[in-house]
Amino acid sequence: MTGLRETVATGIADGRMGERLWLYATYHCNLACSYCLTESSPQIADRRALDRQSMLDAVYRARDLGLTCVGITGGETFMLPWMPDALVEIGRIMPTIVLTNATLFTDRMLKRLEPLAGSDVALQISLDSDEPERNDEWRGPDNFTKVLDAIPKLVARGIRVRIATTVEHQTEEELARLCTLHRSLGISDDDHIVRSVVRRGRAALQGMGAELGPDDVLPELTVTAEGAFLHPFAPTVRNGRTDIDLLVSRQTRPLDRAMARFLQITAAMPIGADVVRNIR
Amino acid sequence: MPGAEQAPPLARVYYRGDGSASALTRSFANAPEMMETLMPFLGQIMDESSIDLATKELVIMRVSQLNGCVYCLAAHRPVAIEAGVPDDQLAAICDVGELDALPPRERAIVAWVDQVTCDAGGVTDRLVAATLDHVRDHQLIELTVLAGTITMLNQYCTAFQIPRPGVDL
Repeated sequence: MTGLRETVATGIADGRMGERLWLYATYHCNLACSYCLTESSPQIADRRALDRQSMLDAVYRARDLGLTCVGITGGETFMLPWMPDALVEIGRIMPTIVLTNATLFTDRMLKRLEPLAGSDVALQISLDSDEPERNDEWRGPDNFTKVLDAIPKLVARGIRVRIATTVEHQTEEELARLCTLHRSLGISDDDHIVRSVVRRGRAALQGMGAELGPDDVLPELTVTAEGAFLHPFAPTVRNGRTDIDLLVSRQTRPLDRAMARFLQITAAMPIGADVVRNIR
Repeated sequence: MPGAEQAPPLARVYYRGDGSASALTRSFANAPEMMETLMPFLGQIMDESSIDLATKELVIMRVSQLNGCVYCLAAHRPVAIEAGVPDDQLAAICDVGELDALPPRERAIVAWVDQVTCDAGGVTDRLVAATLDHVRDHQLIELTVLAGTITMLNQYCTAFQIPRPGVDL
């Protein structure tokens, strides 16, 4: 393990890989966003969820191997009923960002999230426009209202919130108004992430987004129920089938095996510009 | 046809220089870490060794015929011809000719792989001895592993209906 840990440290220092472990908690979602990389929706036939213990095992092992932080994405992470409790535990292991659409935050759910107050867990909430109609066109009916209802409640509970905006057709003025909005909600500019739609998954079928070049994204080991992938834009789904062009390994347990193959691939790649970190 | 750019990075080494690959290789690419072991193994088993390539292709064709593998028969026929398997031998092992027409060595090898493939439990000391009249001990081991490997591939290709060469997925 020492050798693997040293190789991870070298890879991070050289800029060949990121320090974050990504976990695709589930492909199931209560929304069906137009640019979704994973074709997630309420009707998805195969939810491809990680179980709680697998996620915890991966996080512990990632820490031992020298990674320093965690990203949890999906699908909608909070479709998994055990997610709030798991986040408390994961947040104690490493700083964690959880991507969510924030539309499932009932009073009961908010109560379950209260232990995250002051923790190293941040909820990254998607919001694409300051105009409800524009936002909901991409993200689904009533999304804007639900998000703007949830954010103050989370902030009031001491839970760190980030906002992620996925850019496709927004104007500069629209983005500026969105920044005014997030500041008014108590979210700083440092916690506002703006990134392009990526032309994979449903976005590719819709003709949306930017093509990814081989070195456009910093490789970050990404674990899903279907295997380990090169970065969080990799395990995309098109017409119900998961793309394998950026598949690292089907084997994810122990994480060492997947990490070894990930390092083998990244060692042969050019060092990228790291232009779009922490997307999704 | 999906090319190497759509294959997992660790599987691309098994694609041809022009980015293409057989339907079987493209199917295996869904499990890239398995390929790391499987592809060198297949190379070792199927390439020329202490047994010449023509003999190996004879076995590959015969086992594929017994298992009814459309893909392997189509894929290996040109390889067998290239390796020097005569047309009449190919016809014999593909059940359009007489097995008795095979030379004694080839007839013995075919009898061995027939027994191993169809009823391995029915191998007799007499059959072993008869085969060893034509091949050495270690060659019999190689031939038997080859026959078993080809049966595995036949089952894989048939179960997943891997399209024969020239037919896109």
